[in-house]
Amino acid sequence: MLRFTLERFAGMVVTMLLVSVMVFLIMEIPPGDYADRYAFRKYSGTGVNVTEADIEAIRRDLGLDKPMLLRYFDWIGGIVLRGDFGQAFAFETSVTKVIGDKVWLTAGILFSTLLLTYLVSIPIGIYAAVRRGSAVDYGLTVFSYLGLALPNFLLALVMLYFANRWFGADIGGLFSDQYRDAPWSLAKAWDMAKHLWLPAVVLAWSAVAYQIQTVRATMSDELNKLSVTAARARGVPEMKLLVKYPARLAINPVVSTIGFDVNRIFSELPIVAVVLGLTELGELLLRAYLDLDMNVAGAILLLLTFAIVFMNFVSDLLLAWLDPRIKLGV
Amino acid sequence: MTDATHQMDDLTAAEARERAAQLKYYSASQWTLIWWRFRRHRAAMIAAALLGVMALAGIFAEFVAPYGPVTRDTQYIEGGPQIPKFCDEGGCSFTPFINGTKTERDPVTLRAISVPDPEVRHYLQLFVKGETVKLLGFIPIDRHLIGLSPDVDQKIHFWGTDDLGRDVFSRTVYATRTSLSIGVLGVLISFVLALIIGGAAGYFGGMIDNVIQRVTEVIRVVPIIPLYMGLAAAMPKEWSTTQVYFAMTLILGLFGWPTLARRIRSQLLSIRNEDYVVAARLAGARPGRIIAQHMLPSFTSFIIVDLVISFPYMILSETALSFVGLGLRPPSVSWGVLLQQAQSVRAIEQTPWLFIPAVFVVVAVLAFTVIGDGLRDAADPYAETH
Amino acid sequence: MSKMLSVENLSISFRTDEGVITPVQGVTFSVESGRTLGLVGESGSGKSISTKALMQLLPGSAVLGADSRMTYTDKSGKEIALGHMKHGSKELRRIRGGEIGMIFQEPMASFSPVYTIGNQMMEAIMLHRGLKKREAREYAIEMLNKVGISNAAARVDQYPHELSGGMRQRAMIALTLSAGPALLIADEPTTALDVTIQAQVLDLMRDLQRELGMGMIFITHDLGVIAQIADDVAVMYLGTIVERGPAKEVIRNPQHPYTQGLLDAIPSLDHLHDRLKPVPGDIPSPTARPKGCPFHTRCAQAISGTCDVQEPQETSPLPGRAVRCWLHETKSRSAA
Repeated sequence: MLRFTLERFAGMVVTMLLVSVMVFLIMEIPPGDYADRYAFRKYSGTGVNVTEADIEAIRRDLGLDKPMLLRYFDWIGGIVLRGDFGQAFAFETSVTKVIGDKVWLTAGILFSTLLLTYLVSIPIGIYAAVRRGSAVDYGLTVFSYLGLALPNFLLALVMLYFANRWFGADIGGLFSDQYRDAPWSLAKAWDMAKHLWLPAVVLAWSAVAYQIQTVRATMSDELNKLSVTAARARGVPEMKLLVKYPARLAINPVVSTIGFDVNRIFSELPIVAVVLGLTELGELLLRAYLDLDMNVAGAILLLLTFAIVFMNFVSDLLLAWLDPRIKLGV
Repeated sequence: MTDATHQMDDLTAAEARERAAQLKYYSASQWTLIWWRFRRHRAAMIAAALLGVMALAGIFAEFVAPYGPVTRDTQYIEGGPQIPKFCDEGGCSFTPFINGTKTERDPVTLRAISVPDPEVRHYLQLFVKGETVKLLGFIPIDRHLIGLSPDVDQKIHFWGTDDLGRDVFSRTVYATRTSLSIGVLGVLISFVLALIIGGAAGYFGGMIDNVIQRVTEVIRVVPIIPLYMGLAAAMPKEWSTTQVYFAMTLILGLFGWPTLARRIRSQLLSIRNEDYVVAARLAGARPGRIIAQHMLPSFTSFIIVDLVISFPYMILSETALSFVGLGLRPPSVSWGVLLQQAQSVRAIEQTPWLFIPAVFVVVAVLAFTVIGDGLRDAADPYAETH
Repeated sequence: MSKMLSVENLSISFRTDEGVITPVQGVTFSVESGRTLGLVGESGSGKSISTKALMQLLPGSAVLGADSRMTYTDKSGKEIALGHMKHGSKELRRIRGGEIGMIFQEPMASFSPVYTIGNQMMEAIMLHRGLKKREAREYAIEMLNKVGISNAAARVDQYPHELSGGMRQRAMIALTLSAGPALLIADEPTTALDVTIQAQVLDLMRDLQRELGMGMIFITHDLGVIAQIADDVAVMYLGTIVERGPAKEVIRNPQHPYTQGLLDAIPSLDHLHDRLKPVPGDIPSPTARPKGCPFHTRCAQAISGTCDVQEPQETSPLPGRAVRCWLHETKSRSAA
């Protein structure tokens, strides 16, 4: 198990390294560089006339005149060694400050969504497989198709509309007005929990639709396995049998796709955030892109992707723990 | 009488028919078989028909849409759908019609609003004269599929109008063309990339394969919409709508290939040491020719299935990007651009008809998914229950 | 010796998309305690389905014939009608495993890959013997020892994929027997094993059966195996038993053309230079069951006008034997 863990860990580090290169390249794509935008941002409308020389000076100050490779190592070195993501020009402060506790809000959204996804999809998928061909199974299949076809922002709008009608206007966003800028407290955390369910439901929707199908398919396969018949033939009670034998294996593909689910959630996050007025990384990422604040955008993209890579690592370990065949390479 | 004809007489008609059917079945080509099996998949056939109608409407948008995508009707701003009817208080008719409208003041808000005028009837006509437009971009026509007579000083808006008085039906028809064509181009680009990248990895294996696998893994791990957003954000603001359109297809295609490339790679790897491939190699055929002529045909059907089910991702991505303002921009019309106008809860309450393009998104995505499933079943030789 | 299981007129049908198929028709046999019944037939002859019906292991689309009777006498001497127990009932669970044990062809697939051998054994032991966890573990190790698994105390904590094929089947036998069944159904338990290991497992099963005094139904397609292990034999073809009787006599003097064909198909040390004689033709699909005697399409002695028209009844040409064949029915009729 130790060897397996170390191998996977090394793989994770290599992937993260490559991801950081790619994110850096994306940050470099927009025309003009940070110095241009910085100068424009800082002095436009102030009446100060900015000359080429001024911009050149800014460029030198910020070290943007260095070759690309060097700048990459500056950037990634700052992140890894000092947790410093550079300057966010649109906010005139450091990226770390801008991102700040939004990381935790995002993590909160992510984990509540994942929890909801698995709590709903695993039992339902198992049930659909056991009752294969029934009306319920058929209905769930239709739901799955719809769940995958409905654009999430649309779902967000519809949910928001009904939430507004049933629970009052104060349902969008992550906090009620009185807590938005308040320091963290138990009351604020509770307030957040009360708001969290809506984004969690919206983001979980397509993941649930997808995972129900996965669980159902694997469970159907497992139900037909000889080991299930054998266990039944030795008198194991049906409920215990289902849980212990096929269901236990039916969650393997779910575990192995945790990283994929995180990816899907992060992918949908910026768009859903716009509709629901969430103030977390996704929304910030979108704003950063629209402002071409590439330091902030790059930092967020990097964090989100690292989270996905890390969750892939976790899912590998979980899977190895769940299925003894994997670490033995059988 | 010969023995053979005598025997034929012994066969009952039913037996002969069965035998003929069997002969036809065993001598049919792979594609004919897939088509026969696909035809039995009723949901997929319905989906294909729906998609066909959508595609036709999109291709001939200038003819199908009564008005241009940016033509404004200042008489009917944010007006609701006008559903043609056959009856009103004045009796019934065989030709569908709509009532005329008159402008009144809202008794509460005192805003000018349009209300139906039951006194007036405007009958629907086929092939009416209207705006002159260029069909397919170069054939000038002034007839449109359906509409009101040009003599009437009123326009018909089947699905209502937006805040500028633009006809939602016409805009949706034009948007269908944009959105579907972006999907097609995006899928094509990613297909070509997948073919090259997956082909190289699967054919050469070894070091090349390792490097490509690493890169593929990195691209798969980055959340796709934020990645698209990053590239879309880099599009210069001053680009024309055409430039943005092609840039969008390129962006969607550029990162859509990993799944398909993996499929091609693993299939190629599994057959690269088959005798017929080795024979081709020994005969001195070039790698490109071996892949295209000898290897790809053995799994073309799987590739087609994968292509079909990658459409939804393209369509949903385009819609999402345009929706948040990072994709196509007005005056382009795509499903996502149209839905930009429906971003708020207020829109659900007051102008729900602006959500009609969303129905198209859902139907198109569903249709592609169902067709993909149908094709997969049809292409699987082991699913046969003959 | 007492009859512990008697099956009369068992018919099993399945509702399928292509209509109703009946892979088992009018099957009658019985098992006496302490004796082994061999069920022989090609794949698709309905031998596995018949035994699965005993334990209600068939899918929901299966329907038993109205006049099918399966009567089992349990350890306490109570008669139980099999096939009609309520799903999830305590009695059914007791029958499954506790009264009737079942061993399958694929030892690897019979075990769940994600639990240790011991885990799966202890589950059965705790269910049927009412032992506590610790005692169950002791018992599991004892059973593993008994089936000839060395170092049982360590093996008990291993996963199925860590054992060799023969070991796995031994473990499966230990698992099944640890629940203490009075009747053991072995569904081709040696088919998937190497020939040398086959012989070992066969010996083990025969010894255990004698030692524990169990009744056994041994399903196989191999008459050679029957000769080694069975006391009685029933030969099945397309869902019906075409011949049954004491194993030795049936093998020495087969009465049905199909049994004769099967015996001719066994390679013999005395005639190494002869070509093997397979039973000609293919077994027809269960959807296209031939009219009349099901075997007439492959039978060299078929009487046209009789065999392809009407199904033969069971007759007894010799004492203790039963055959379904027009050759004997016409004989006995002409003799009468």
